[in-house]
Amino acid sequence: MVNITINELSVTYRVNDHMLLALDQVGLNLLPGRITALVGESGSGKTTLGKTLMGLLPEYAKVEGSVKLNDLEIVGASESGLNGIRWSRVAMLFQNGAANLNPVHRIIDQVAEPLIHHNVAKKAESMARAQKALESMGLNPSLGRRFPHELSGGEIQRSLLAMALIMDPDVLILDEPTAALDAMTKAFVSRIILGARDNGKSILLITHDLDLAKNIADDLIVLYLGQVMETLPAKDLFHNPLHPYTLALGRSFPSMETHRDLGGIRGDAFFRVLHNHPKSNGSVLLHSHVVGASQYHETTHPPPKGCLFQPRCTQAVADCTEKDVFLMEVENHQVRCLRGGIATEFHLEKVAKKYGNVTALAPTSLSLRAGEIFCLVGETGSGKTTLGMIAAGCLKPDQGRRIFEGRDMDRWIKEDYLSLAGKIGLVHQHPAQAVSHRFSVFDIVEEPLRIKKQGLNKEEIQKRVIDALKDVHLSTEPEFINRYPHELNMGALQRVCIARALVSKPSMLVADEPTSSLDPSVQAKVLKMLLNLQIEKGLTMLFITHDLGLARKIGDRVGVMLKGRLMEAGPTAQVMGQPGHPYTRLLIAGARGEIETTSFERESSQSQGCPFTSRCDRSQKCCFLSFPKPICRDNGGHNVWCHFPLI
Amino acid sequence: MHLNARKKLATDPWFITGVALVLIITILIIAGPRLAVHDPHDMSFQPLDHPSSQHRLGVNDGGMDILAELLFGIRNTVAFGLVTGITGMVIGVIIGLVCAWFGGLTDNFLMRLSDILMAVPSIMILILTAAFFRPSPASLGLILAAMAWPGTAKAIRAQAMVIKNSLHIQAARQMGASGSYIITRHMMPELFPLYLIGFASKARMAMFMEASLSFLGLFDPSRKSLGMMINYALKYYYLDIWWNWLMPPILCLTLLIMAVTFLAVSLEKVFDPRLKEVW
Repeated sequence: MVNITINELSVTYRVNDHMLLALDQVGLNLLPGRITALVGESGSGKTTLGKTLMGLLPEYAKVEGSVKLNDLEIVGASESGLNGIRWSRVAMLFQNGAANLNPVHRIIDQVAEPLIHHNVAKKAESMARAQKALESMGLNPSLGRRFPHELSGGEIQRSLLAMALIMDPDVLILDEPTAALDAMTKAFVSRIILGARDNGKSILLITHDLDLAKNIADDLIVLYLGQVMETLPAKDLFHNPLHPYTLALGRSFPSMETHRDLGGIRGDAFFRVLHNHPKSNGSVLLHSHVVGASQYHETTHPPPKGCLFQPRCTQAVADCTEKDVFLMEVENHQVRCLRGGIATEFHLEKVAKKYGNVTALAPTSLSLRAGEIFCLVGETGSGKTTLGMIAAGCLKPDQGRRIFEGRDMDRWIKEDYLSLAGKIGLVHQHPAQAVSHRFSVFDIVEEPLRIKKQGLNKEEIQKRVIDALKDVHLSTEPEFINRYPHELNMGALQRVCIARALVSKPSMLVADEPTSSLDPSVQAKVLKMLLNLQIEKGLTMLFITHDLGLARKIGDRVGVMLKGRLMEAGPTAQVMGQPGHPYTRLLIAGARGEIETTSFERESSQSQGCPFTSRCDRSQKCCFLSFPKPICRDNGGHNVWCHFPLI
Repeated sequence: MHLNARKKLATDPWFITGVALVLIITILIIAGPRLAVHDPHDMSFQPLDHPSSQHRLGVNDGGMDILAELLFGIRNTVAFGLVTGITGMVIGVIIGLVCAWFGGLTDNFLMRLSDILMAVPSIMILILTAAFFRPSPASLGLILAAMAWPGTAKAIRAQAMVIKNSLHIQAARQMGASGSYIITRHMMPELFPLYLIGFASKARMAMFMEASLSFLGLFDPSRKSLGMMINYALKYYYLDIWWNWLMPPILCLTLLIMAVTFLAVSLEKVFDPRLKEVW
């Protein structure tokens, strides 16, 4: 049994007169029988960490901190000492497959090499063991006699794995073990890795394949520019990430589990340089910079402070650029974020609204996390728009509390509505009616600024308007911005409305059926644009739609409403893939066009019970009497308000 | 629709005629004192003199030059029409907006008041006021305006209530727009056609009313006016004066009212939202 304990490990590569900071005070434990996965973008220091465990870093790398194999210190150990543990106790599967094999030796010789080198066995026995190892990888017995260039990528990867496992090491470091493999081979390799875990090996899995990490790893460590941003249980990766970076990584990965269109992370960061600056008082300041495509290294600049991810983060606040951030415990994760992980942007607590005798919205609670798209779906009259308007601040609920960015919204409205209005953008369903036909495009987009009077001068207003129009991919020619609404088509007009909603730089966007009056091709354009905007600006979005197909494509989470009540809410993929509520199942069937299974109920029953009872085939007496409490599936991320949920 | 308005107006015969008439009248008003040659109050000419090169339209029974009287009479009539038209329109717009904006009790009260005013014949009130109090023409115009606003107010109120609930105003509210911003930026421009129509109808009515009152002799006799000229001319209708004394004021009055009516009709056709073509 071997534990690996890594403490405050920092690795710096010296390149020319600058230093590259590859790892910055990383701490982690590798435990027997557990797979720890390291994920992160290229350049985040994943491979450097793996190589450090093997003591394989080049001479120009400076290592600080400690890596302990039980009691044995690896950092600073002598080459002979390291040779004692390499392959026998710690083995590594390197990335880039064939490049790690010697092209002039047969495969079997290379697989047997560690055994011979460590004098574990005689040559004949070594060859026999190597042959067995290769066969256990599902490889052709004659394969060992071939040369590396005669093997396919999958065969090479499996041979390398056989090589790594041949000495039965305690610790296995797998660097991108499945990078170039097809799905079947990947599954086979995954099984071997799981088998190794069950044998009590400590495994460090370095990968950018998030599906693999989620499926076979126990713990996940998210690295960003050499810093640990979050450590989390692997199963939470897609459904409950707490750091904005983890969320963004998950969105960027084409997982089989999510339906949403791929997102990305705005901006870029290639590496961190560390260097000295002589200061005016004679002292020397050692500090680091993040270097990306758009940032060049200049000689005069202040040292970066605060969170490393802050320039690309969608929920960064002023403090994030100033204060130092440390890992902290949140739920069962460790998160390096000043705001304690992804913040709750907007929270509704038991809000309700009645119009006369008609209950438009029964007490409903809902939380929107910063930077997510929440889709509300349901039939007409289900209270979606009422909820949306309450969220946008244009409708006052009869009861309940609204909390926006941690402040009570009702009080905020009373005290200073203008500042709140600037933070919430609203896009209406009918673009032609939502603008005054006496306003030109410029007037329309300028209106929020004109209302807010933020002390902008004419040029600044002009610039903001032009920027907003650019954001929505509209022309900024004077010829266009002086046009009137009736001279534009619906798609362009809806984009003008979106530009109007964005010009005051809101942090939340409420979109009420923004594409229902558009044809599919224009709708696709507008949606793509909205998704891009969401990634670039980190908008939190409440997207109201009746179109399930749409919600599936753009929503991070989805809420299903019926007659003013939330019936089901959860991650889009789960709600759509495995609906927990019979009503959701019915809606999905309806959206698929399976009309024979759908029924439409006309009369409205204003009873205490579940509003779906009259159409539900599972309803029993209790369904008529009381509306159920939510039943949580999957850590509370997925709630179903049903007495008898499916599954 | 607001952009096509100009093009549409330019080809509308009603509008062209109206504008032409207004132009002629404006010239007559501005150049009046110059064209008149004589002082309209100068009574030193031969009474009932026939038209001559000295007196283009002859001389009336009091020895005054008819052309001079006519030119000054037009000025007075138009001034009365403008004062009443503008005041009536402003009162109507304000009351209409107030009713639409506040609704409730205010709206109810003002609308019942307008119903009452519409039911009472304003000519009666004007005759009585003029007879008993002998107010100046300007105050009489204001009194007329104070009774003439209900039509405009009702039209403005109805339209403003529609606009008030429209989506673009809801959007502006969500952006945090104040009441004054919404009224000045969104509602007032939207109601613009109604101002023109309200003004035109009030001015037309006022000019006719002024002529009627002066015809009845309810104004200061020394004040030149078209109505009074008709009144005096009628006394001598047995003489052969109809074409040089009776007809000019009647023709002028008709043209004045026609000018305003033509303009009002053409503007109404173009601007009234109920008549507007769907774009």
